[in-house]
Amino acid sequence: QLVNLACATHLFLEYVGTVSLMSGPSMLPTLASSGEVVVEDKLSLRLNPASLARGDLVVVRSPINPTLIVCKRVIGLPGDVVCVDPTGLKAPSTEHVIVPKGHIWLCGDNMLYSRDSRDYGPVPMALIRSKLVARV
Amino acid sequence: MPPRHRQASSWLKLVTLPKFSTTPGWRHIYWFPTVFVVSYYFYNLKIVSGRSMQPTLNPDASLWRDVGLFNRYAIHTKLDFNRGDIVALRSPEDPNRILVKRIVALAGDRVKTLPPYPNPEIVVPQGQAWIEGDEPFHSDDSNRFGPVPLSLIESRLVAVVWPPSRFGHQFQPTIVDKDISNPNKHSAYRLAMAELERQRWRTTRVAAAPRSSL
Repeated sequence: QLVNLACATHLFLEYVGTVSLMSGPSMLPTLASSGEVVVEDKLSLRLNPASLARGDLVVVRSPINPTLIVCKRVIGLPGDVVCVDPTGLKAPSTEHVIVPKGHIWLCGDNMLYSRDSRDYGPVPMALIRSKLVARV
Repeated sequence: MPPRHRQASSWLKLVTLPKFSTTPGWRHIYWFPTVFVVSYYFYNLKIVSGRSMQPTLNPDASLWRDVGLFNRYAIHTKLDFNRGDIVALRSPEDPNRILVKRIVALAGDRVKTLPPYPNPEIVVPQGQAWIEGDEPFHSDDSNRFGPVPLSLIESRLVAVVWPPSRFGHQFQPTIVDKDISNPNKHSAYRLAMAELERQRWRTTRVAAAPRSSL
């Protein structure tokens, strides 16, 4: 049945991986501002949540807006001591935080123009949707 | 019978009917994607365990853990959050754990917090909510870890479906029957008044943000 096939496709996209379009200046120069087609991988984080490493690019649901999906880089894992803002823009560059249990610290590559953990603090790991694996 | 219940039971029939078809094995697996999508986007059942929502859910007098019908559509698609809703959300401290709590305040509201929260008052930031369990002494909620992002909330409780004596979808008491002459009704009145008092205590601790016409 068509409905079943649609559901199966949707489930694959939801639980295994998907190709998606993303845009925005907060990840320059890694990802272009005008739009990039990237491959998201949802399965590896589901099977092995410990495979999340510092420096991974992750796609998360925004903690300040339930409709937004954002892509940032993982800087700190639970228990890490993170320097909040080395550039000194949003916090004095001597300020450090300890990332609490079950949270991660995100930062965009373009630190001059990125709304990330420097603004909204550590992000609960339950909000992570997928890891970015490749660019198409 | 309230119309909500009819909708839920007809959904259940729609799901179980294909499973009892003639050829076993392949037929059962074939319908799994549809079942999963229905359960992901619409309604599903969850067993509620723990004391943090007493006496609304899992009261001491009950032998069973409550099974509740949760509505994902309202949260996932419509994003319909209201103060006073009982919702299921992922715990910010442990991504594998699901908590069932009540939304007490939304973004912009000023809340008087309970211990062990360090500040006596807090304004809930944008895009977040203040959740509390109905049993303040045994609840792992916003008084412990602060306001939670709305994105963590997964579904809203519609009705309790098991045990049958606690079946129902009224979690906010509205009308209290004041006729206390009949001894059987007397305890119902007192329980209803206690529930009203709890609800008033929750709402008086929240000063809602002034809303412009959105």
